[in-house]
Amino acid sequence: MLNYLNESRLPPIHNKLPIIGVLAVLVILAIRPLTPATSQTVGTLQPGFGQAIVVLNGAESAGATSSEVSKLVALLNKALELNREALKLNATDEAETRAALLGQVDQILTTVENRAIELTVAASQRSYNTRVLTYLGGAIAAVLGTITYAFAVSFYQKYRIKRTFQMRVIRK
Amino acid sequence: MRLASSQNRRTLIVVFITLLIICEMVAYVATTPRPREQFFQLYILGANHMAADYYPNNDTNIHLGEPVTWYLGVTDNMGTVQLVSIRVKIGNQTVKPPDDTQALESPAPIVTEFMRFIQNNETWETPFVWSISDAVSSGNSTRILTLQIHNETYQIQDCSASNGHNFRLIFELWTWQADTNAFEFGWTAGGEHRVAWLQVWFNMTRSRLA
Repeated sequence: MLNYLNESRLPPIHNKLPIIGVLAVLVILAIRPLTPATSQTVGTLQPGFGQAIVVLNGAESAGATSSEVSKLVALLNKALELNREALKLNATDEAETRAALLGQVDQILTTVENRAIELTVAASQRSYNTRVLTYLGGAIAAVLGTITYAFAVSFYQKYRIKRTFQMRVIRK
Repeated sequence: MRLASSQNRRTLIVVFITLLIICEMVAYVATTPRPREQFFQLYILGANHMAADYYPNNDTNIHLGEPVTWYLGVTDNMGTVQLVSIRVKIGNQTVKPPDDTQALESPAPIVTEFMRFIQNNETWETPFVWSISDAVSSGNSTRILTLQIHNETYQIQDCSASNGHNFRLIFELWTWQADTNAFEFGWTAGGEHRVAWLQVWFNMTRSRLA
Protein backbone atom coordinates (compact mmCIF):
# COMPACT_ATOMS: atom_id res chain seq x y z
CA MET A 1 0.00 0.00 0.00
CA LEU A 2 1.32 3.39 -0.98
CA ASN A 3 1.58 5.92 1.82
CA TYR A 4 2.39 9.54 1.32
CA LEU A 5 4.83 11.13 3.68
CA ASN A 6 2.52 13.99 4.62
CA GLU A 7 -0.73 12.02 4.48
CA SER A 8 -1.51 12.69 8.13
CA ARG A 9 -1.38 16.43 7.46
CA LEU A 10 -4.01 16.32 4.71
CA PRO A 11 -7.42 17.59 5.83
CA PRO A 12 -9.99 14.82 6.21
CA ILE A 13 -12.34 15.86 3.41
CA HIS A 14 -14.76 12.96 3.87
CA ASN A 15 -15.57 14.16 7.42
CA LYS A 16 -16.65 17.59 6.17
CA LEU A 17 -19.00 16.40 3.45
CA PRO A 18 -22.06 15.89 5.70
CA ILE A 19 -21.52 19.32 7.27
CA ILE A 20 -21.32 20.94 3.82
CA GLY A 21 -24.49 19.08 2.81
CA VAL A 22 -26.39 20.29 5.88
CA LEU A 23 -25.16 23.85 5.32
CA ALA A 24 -26.23 23.73 1.67
CA VAL A 25 -29.74 22.59 2.67
CA LEU A 26 -29.95 25.34 5.29
CA VAL A 27 -28.83 27.97 2.78
CA ILE A 28 -31.42 26.77 0.23
CA LEU A 29 -34.15 26.85 2.88
CA ALA A 30 -33.11 30.33 3.97
CA ILE A 31 -33.01 31.67 0.41
CA ARG A 32 -36.34 30.07 -0.57
CA PRO A 33 -38.92 32.87 -0.54
CA LEU A 34 -42.23 32.47 1.22
CA THR A 35 -44.75 31.14 -1.26
CA PRO A 36 -48.09 32.53 -0.20
CA ALA A 37 -51.26 30.63 -0.87
CA THR A 38 -52.87 31.56 -4.16
CA SER A 39 -56.15 30.54 -5.65
CA GLN A 40 -57.40 30.68 -9.18
CA THR A 41 -60.83 32.18 -9.49
CA VAL A 42 -61.37 31.36 -13.14
CA GLY A 43 -64.79 29.92 -12.37
CA THR A 44 -65.99 32.89 -10.38
CA LEU A 45 -64.21 35.90 -11.82
CA GLN A 46 -63.78 36.82 -15.44
CA PRO A 47 -60.22 37.45 -16.64
CA GLY A 48 -61.35 40.92 -17.73
CA PHE A 49 -61.36 42.03 -14.09
CA GLY A 50 -57.64 41.32 -13.80
CA GLN A 51 -56.95 43.22 -17.01
CA ALA A 52 -59.11 46.14 -15.85
CA ILE A 53 -57.21 46.57 -12.60
CA VAL A 54 -53.89 46.53 -14.46
CA VAL A 55 -55.05 49.32 -16.78
CA LEU A 56 -56.51 51.25 -13.84
CA ASN A 57 -53.25 50.99 -11.89
CA GLY A 58 -51.49 52.30 -15.00
CA ALA A 59 -53.78 55.34 -15.01
CA GLU A 60 -53.02 55.94 -11.32
CA SER A 61 -49.28 55.69 -11.94
CA ALA A 62 -49.66 58.21 -14.75
CA GLY A 63 -51.15 60.66 -12.24
CA ALA A 64 -54.92 60.21 -12.46
CA THR A 65 -56.69 61.81 -9.51
CA SER A 66 -58.78 59.85 -7.02
CA SER A 67 -61.99 61.52 -8.22
CA GLU A 68 -61.27 60.43 -11.79
CA VAL A 69 -60.46 56.88 -10.70
CA SER A 70 -63.47 56.64 -8.37
CA LYS A 71 -65.90 56.70 -11.31
CA LEU A 72 -64.18 53.70 -12.86
CA VAL A 73 -63.99 51.90 -9.52
CA ALA A 74 -67.75 52.37 -9.11
CA LEU A 75 -68.28 50.79 -12.54
CA LEU A 76 -66.01 47.87 -11.65
CA ASN A 77 -67.92 47.25 -8.41
CA LYS A 78 -71.15 47.29 -10.38
CA ALA A 79 -69.63 44.69 -12.73
CA LEU A 80 -68.65 42.58 -9.71
CA GLU A 81 -72.25 42.67 -8.46
CA LEU A 82 -73.59 41.64 -11.85
CA ASN A 83 -71.01 38.88 -12.06
CA ARG A 84 -72.07 37.61 -8.64
CA GLU A 85 -75.73 37.69 -9.63
CA ALA A 86 -74.97 35.84 -12.87
CA LEU A 87 -73.09 33.11 -11.07
CA LYS A 88 -76.03 32.55 -8.72
CA LEU A 89 -78.26 31.68 -11.64
CA ASN A 90 -78.63 28.15 -12.86
CA ALA A 91 -76.64 27.59 -16.03
CA THR A 92 -79.38 25.55 -17.76
CA ASP A 93 -82.71 27.02 -16.63
CA GLU A 94 -81.72 30.66 -16.61
CA ALA A 95 -79.08 30.57 -19.29
CA GLU A 96 -80.44 33.61 -21.14
CA THR A 97 -80.52 35.84 -18.07
CA ARG A 98 -77.10 34.62 -17.09
CA ALA A 99 -75.68 35.31 -20.54
CA ALA A 100 -77.27 38.76 -20.55
CA LEU A 101 -75.74 39.61 -17.18
CA LEU A 102 -72.33 38.34 -18.23
CA GLY A 103 -72.68 40.37 -21.42
CA GLN A 104 -73.28 43.48 -19.33
CA VAL A 105 -70.22 42.64 -17.26
CA ASP A 106 -68.13 42.39 -20.43
CA GLN A 107 -69.52 45.68 -21.68
CA ILE A 108 -68.69 47.44 -18.40
CA LEU A 109 -65.19 45.98 -18.37
CA THR A 110 -64.59 47.15 -21.95
CA THR A 111 -65.87 50.64 -21.04
CA VAL A 112 -63.62 50.77 -17.99
CA GLU A 113 -60.58 49.67 -19.98
CA ASN A 114 -61.21 52.25 -22.70
CA ARG A 115 -61.79 55.05 -20.22
CA ALA A 116 -58.75 54.03 -18.20
CA ILE A 117 -56.57 54.17 -21.33
CA GLU A 118 -57.93 57.65 -22.14
CA LEU A 119 -57.35 58.66 -18.54
CA THR A 120 -53.77 57.37 -18.66
CA VAL A 121 -52.99 59.49 -21.72
CA ALA A 122 -54.61 62.62 -20.26
CA ALA A 123 -53.07 62.12 -16.81
CA SER A 124 -49.56 61.48 -18.13
CA GLN A 125 -49.77 64.63 -20.30
CA ARG A 126 -51.02 66.61 -17.30
CA SER A 127 -48.27 65.20 -15.06
CA TYR A 128 -45.64 66.07 -17.68
CA ASN A 129 -46.95 69.63 -17.96
CA THR A 130 -47.03 70.02 -14.18
CA ARG A 131 -43.48 68.73 -13.88
CA VAL A 132 -42.16 71.01 -16.62
CA LEU A 133 -43.96 74.02 -15.11
CA THR A 134 -42.64 73.24 -11.64
CA TYR A 135 -39.02 72.98 -12.86
CA LEU A 136 -39.51 76.12 -14.96
CA GLY A 137 -40.91 77.85 -11.87
CA GLY A 138 -37.76 76.81 -10.01
CA ALA A 139 -35.56 78.39 -12.68
CA ILE A 140 -37.65 81.59 -12.68
CA ALA A 141 -37.46 81.73 -8.88
CA ALA A 142 -33.67 81.40 -9.13
CA VAL A 143 -33.51 84.31 -11.65
CA LEU A 144 -35.76 86.48 -9.47
CA GLY A 145 -33.71 85.60 -6.43
CA THR A 146 -30.51 86.59 -8.20
CA ILE A 147 -32.00 89.94 -9.33
CA THR A 148 -33.22 90.60 -5.79
CA TYR A 149 -29.77 89.78 -4.48
CA ALA A 150 -28.15 92.13 -7.00
CA PHE A 151 -30.51 94.97 -6.08
CA ALA A 152 -30.00 94.34 -2.37
CA VAL A 153 -26.22 94.39 -2.75
CA SER A 154 -26.41 97.54 -4.88
CA PHE A 155 -28.63 99.34 -2.37
CA TYR A 156 -26.39 98.23 0.46
CA GLN A 157 -23.33 99.56 -1.33
CA LYS A 158 -25.08 102.88 -2.01
CA TYR A 159 -26.14 103.06 1.61
CA ARG A 160 -22.59 102.44 2.79
CA ILE A 161 -21.24 105.13 0.43
CA LYS A 162 -23.91 107.58 1.60
CA ARG A 163 -23.09 106.84 5.22
CA THR A 164 -19.40 107.28 4.50
CA PHE A 165 -19.97 110.73 3.00
CA GLN A 166 -22.23 111.69 5.89
CA MET A 167 -19.50 110.96 8.40
CA ARG A 168 -18.29 113.88 10.43
CA VAL A 169 -14.88 114.31 11.88
CA ILE A 170 -15.09 115.29 15.52
CA ARG A 171 -12.10 116.53 17.30
CA LYS A 172 -11.52 114.85 20.64
CA MET B 1 -26.88 99.19 -10.14
CA ARG B 2 -23.32 98.56 -11.02
CA LEU B 3 -22.55 95.14 -12.45
CA ALA B 4 -19.59 96.18 -14.43
CA SER B 5 -16.87 94.63 -12.38
CA SER B 6 -15.99 91.05 -13.19
CA GLN B 7 -15.96 90.16 -9.50
CA ASN B 8 -19.60 91.26 -9.15
CA ARG B 9 -20.58 89.22 -12.19
CA ARG B 10 -18.84 86.13 -10.81
CA THR B 11 -20.65 86.60 -7.50
CA LEU B 12 -23.98 86.89 -9.25
CA ILE B 13 -23.32 83.74 -11.29
CA VAL B 14 -22.44 81.83 -8.13
CA VAL B 15 -25.61 83.13 -6.41
CA PHE B 16 -27.73 82.22 -9.43
CA ILE B 17 -26.31 78.69 -9.66
CA THR B 18 -26.80 78.16 -5.91
CA LEU B 19 -30.39 79.40 -6.03
CA LEU B 20 -31.06 77.33 -9.16
CA ILE B 21 -29.84 74.15 -7.44
CA ILE B 22 -31.95 74.88 -4.33
CA CYS B 23 -35.11 75.73 -6.33
CA GLU B 24 -34.79 72.69 -8.60
CA MET B 25 -34.29 70.46 -5.58
CA VAL B 26 -37.50 71.86 -4.10
CA ALA B 27 -39.24 71.26 -7.46
CA TYR B 28 -37.96 67.67 -7.51
CA VAL B 29 -39.20 67.00 -3.97
CA ALA B 30 -42.57 68.59 -4.79
CA THR B 31 -43.12 66.52 -7.94
CA THR B 32 -41.75 63.19 -6.71
CA PRO B 33 -44.19 61.09 -4.66
CA ARG B 34 -42.77 60.06 -1.33
CA PRO B 35 -42.50 56.34 -0.58
CA ARG B 36 -44.96 55.29 2.09
CA GLU B 37 -45.81 52.18 3.97
CA GLN B 38 -48.25 49.95 2.12
CA PHE B 39 -50.75 47.96 4.13
CA PHE B 40 -54.37 46.93 4.55
CA GLN B 41 -56.55 47.15 7.61
CA LEU B 42 -59.17 44.52 8.29
CA TYR B 43 -61.65 44.92 11.09
CA ILE B 44 -64.90 43.54 12.42
CA LEU B 45 -67.32 45.47 14.61
CA GLY B 46 -70.35 44.47 16.60
CA ALA B 47 -74.00 45.33 16.00
CA ASN B 48 -73.58 48.88 17.36
CA HIS B 49 -70.58 49.68 15.18
CA MET B 50 -68.20 49.24 18.09
CA ALA B 51 -65.67 46.62 19.13
CA ALA B 52 -68.31 45.22 21.48
CA ASP B 53 -71.75 43.61 21.40
CA TYR B 54 -70.73 40.90 18.98
CA TYR B 55 -73.45 38.55 20.20
CA PRO B 56 -77.18 39.08 20.77
CA ASN B 57 -77.73 39.86 24.47
CA ASN B 58 -73.95 39.46 24.93
CA ASP B 59 -74.42 35.71 25.04
CA THR B 60 -71.86 33.75 23.05
CA ASN B 61 -74.26 30.85 22.90
CA ILE B 62 -76.18 31.44 19.67
CA HIS B 63 -79.78 30.28 19.18
CA LEU B 64 -80.81 28.44 16.05
CA GLY B 65 -82.09 31.02 13.53
CA GLU B 66 -81.02 33.95 15.68
CA PRO B 67 -79.60 36.71 13.45
CA VAL B 68 -76.19 38.07 14.40
CA THR B 69 -75.08 41.41 12.95
CA TRP B 70 -71.47 42.39 12.48
CA TYR B 71 -69.71 44.94 10.29
CA LEU B 72 -66.74 43.91 8.19
CA GLY B 73 -64.34 46.58 7.00
CA VAL B 74 -61.21 46.84 4.87
CA THR B 75 -59.05 49.94 4.37
CA ASP B 76 -56.70 50.16 1.42
CA ASN B 77 -53.42 51.93 2.17
CA MET B 78 -51.53 50.40 -0.73
CA GLY B 79 -51.39 53.58 -2.81
CA THR B 80 -53.40 52.08 -5.69
CA VAL B 81 -56.78 50.56 -6.45
CA GLN B 82 -56.94 47.01 -5.16
CA LEU B 83 -59.31 44.12 -5.72
CA VAL B 84 -59.84 42.44 -2.38
CA SER B 85 -61.78 39.44 -1.23
CA ILE B 86 -62.84 38.62 2.30
CA ARG B 87 -63.19 34.87 2.60
CA VAL B 88 -65.47 33.61 5.32
CA LYS B 89 -64.60 30.21 6.76
CA ILE B 90 -66.15 28.22 9.52
CA GLY B 91 -64.26 26.01 11.90
CA ASN B 92 -64.13 24.50 15.33
CA GLN B 93 -61.52 24.42 18.06
CA THR B 94 -59.27 21.91 16.33
CA VAL B 95 -59.07 23.50 12.89
CA LYS B 96 -55.83 25.37 12.23
CA PRO B 97 -56.05 29.16 12.03
CA PRO B 98 -54.12 30.99 9.28
CA ASP B 99 -50.35 30.97 9.73
CA ASP B 100 -48.95 34.51 9.96
CA THR B 101 -45.30 33.56 9.61
CA GLN B 102 -45.71 31.21 6.65
CA ALA B 103 -48.60 33.21 5.13
CA LEU B 104 -50.76 30.10 4.94
CA GLU B 105 -54.53 30.19 4.86
CA SER B 106 -56.67 28.24 7.27
CA PRO B 107 -57.69 24.80 6.01
CA ALA B 108 -61.24 25.43 7.28
CA PRO B 109 -63.94 25.20 4.58
CA ILE B 110 -64.94 28.40 2.78
CA VAL B 111 -68.54 29.46 3.33
CA THR B 112 -68.57 32.49 1.05
CA GLU B 113 -66.48 35.44 -0.07
CA PHE B 114 -67.08 39.15 -0.64
CA MET B 115 -65.15 40.86 -3.42
CA ARG B 116 -64.69 44.57 -3.90
CA PHE B 117 -62.52 47.09 -5.69
CA ILE B 118 -61.18 49.62 -3.18
CA GLN B 119 -59.44 52.89 -3.89
CA ASN B 120 -56.39 54.11 -2.05
CA ASN B 121 -57.29 55.49 1.40
CA GLU B 122 -60.82 54.15 1.02
CA THR B 123 -62.56 52.05 3.64
CA TRP B 124 -65.10 49.54 2.47
CA GLU B 125 -67.50 48.45 5.16
CA THR B 126 -70.27 45.95 4.73
CA PRO B 127 -72.80 44.55 7.18
CA PHE B 128 -72.46 40.85 7.84
CA VAL B 129 -75.76 39.40 9.03
CA TRP B 130 -75.69 35.71 9.66
CA SER B 131 -77.51 32.98 11.50
CA ILE B 132 -77.32 29.25 11.93
CA SER B 133 -80.32 27.95 10.05
CA ASP B 134 -79.83 24.26 10.64
CA ALA B 135 -77.80 22.17 13.07
CA VAL B 136 -78.03 18.73 14.63
CA SER B 137 -76.80 17.28 17.86
CA SER B 138 -75.81 13.66 18.26
CA GLY B 139 -74.21 12.44 21.45
CA ASN B 140 -71.82 15.09 22.67
CA SER B 141 -71.30 16.60 19.26
CA THR B 142 -73.15 19.47 17.60
CA ARG B 143 -72.91 19.81 13.86
CA ILE B 144 -73.79 22.94 11.88
CA LEU B 145 -75.51 21.99 8.64
CA THR B 146 -76.47 25.30 7.07
CA LEU B 147 -75.53 28.90 7.63
CA GLN B 148 -77.55 31.85 6.42
CA ILE B 149 -75.67 34.98 5.38
CA HIS B 150 -77.61 37.93 3.96
CA ASN B 151 -80.65 35.74 3.30
CA GLU B 152 -78.60 33.23 1.34
CA THR B 153 -78.25 29.71 2.65
CA TYR B 154 -74.89 27.96 2.56
CA GLN B 155 -74.40 24.24 3.11
CA ILE B 156 -71.64 23.54 5.61
CA GLN B 157 -69.48 20.49 5.14
CA ASP B 158 -68.08 18.73 8.13
CA CYS B 159 -68.21 21.28 10.91
CA SER B 160 -68.94 19.90 14.34
CA ALA B 161 -67.82 20.71 17.85
CA SER B 162 -67.81 18.88 21.12
CA ASN B 163 -70.88 19.91 23.13
CA GLY B 164 -71.36 22.73 20.63
CA HIS B 165 -68.55 24.77 22.15
CA ASN B 166 -65.91 26.83 20.35
CA PHE B 167 -67.14 27.17 16.82
CA ARG B 168 -65.56 30.10 15.02
CA LEU B 169 -65.94 32.18 11.91
CA ILE B 170 -62.62 33.06 10.29
CA PHE B 171 -62.29 36.07 7.98
CA GLU B 172 -59.28 36.12 5.68
CA LEU B 173 -58.18 39.02 3.51
CA TRP B 174 -57.16 37.98 0.00
CA THR B 175 -55.88 40.38 -2.66
CA TRP B 176 -55.74 40.12 -6.43
CA GLN B 177 -52.23 39.74 -7.83
CA ALA B 178 -51.91 40.98 -11.38
CA ASP B 179 -48.73 39.01 -12.08
CA THR B 180 -50.26 35.65 -11.21
CA ASN B 181 -53.85 36.53 -12.19
CA ALA B 182 -55.09 35.03 -8.97
CA PHE B 183 -56.14 35.95 -5.48
CA GLU B 184 -53.40 35.59 -2.90
CA PHE B 185 -53.78 35.33 0.83
CA GLY B 186 -52.48 38.62 2.22
CA TRP B 187 -50.40 41.07 0.21
CA THR B 188 -46.80 41.82 -0.67
CA ALA B 189 -45.29 45.19 0.19
CA GLY B 190 -41.69 46.24 0.46
CA GLY B 191 -40.48 42.73 -0.30
CA GLU B 192 -42.43 41.28 2.61
CA HIS B 193 -45.55 39.19 2.53
CA ARG B 194 -48.15 40.07 5.13
CA VAL B 195 -51.51 38.62 6.00
CA ALA B 196 -54.60 39.87 7.79
CA TRP B 197 -57.28 37.70 9.30
CA LEU B 198 -59.78 37.71 12.13
CA GLN B 199 -61.81 35.13 13.96
CA VAL B 200 -64.83 35.29 16.22
CA TRP B 201 -65.76 32.41 18.49
CA PHE B 202 -69.26 31.28 19.33
CA ASN B 203 -71.13 28.36 20.86
CA MET B 204 -74.13 26.41 19.65
CA THR B 205 -75.04 24.13 22.49
CA ARG B 206 -77.77 21.52 22.50
CA SER B 207 -80.11 23.74 24.55
CA ARG B 208 -80.11 26.34 21.76
CA LEU B 209 -81.09 23.93 19.01
CA ALA B 210 -84.75 23.86 19.93
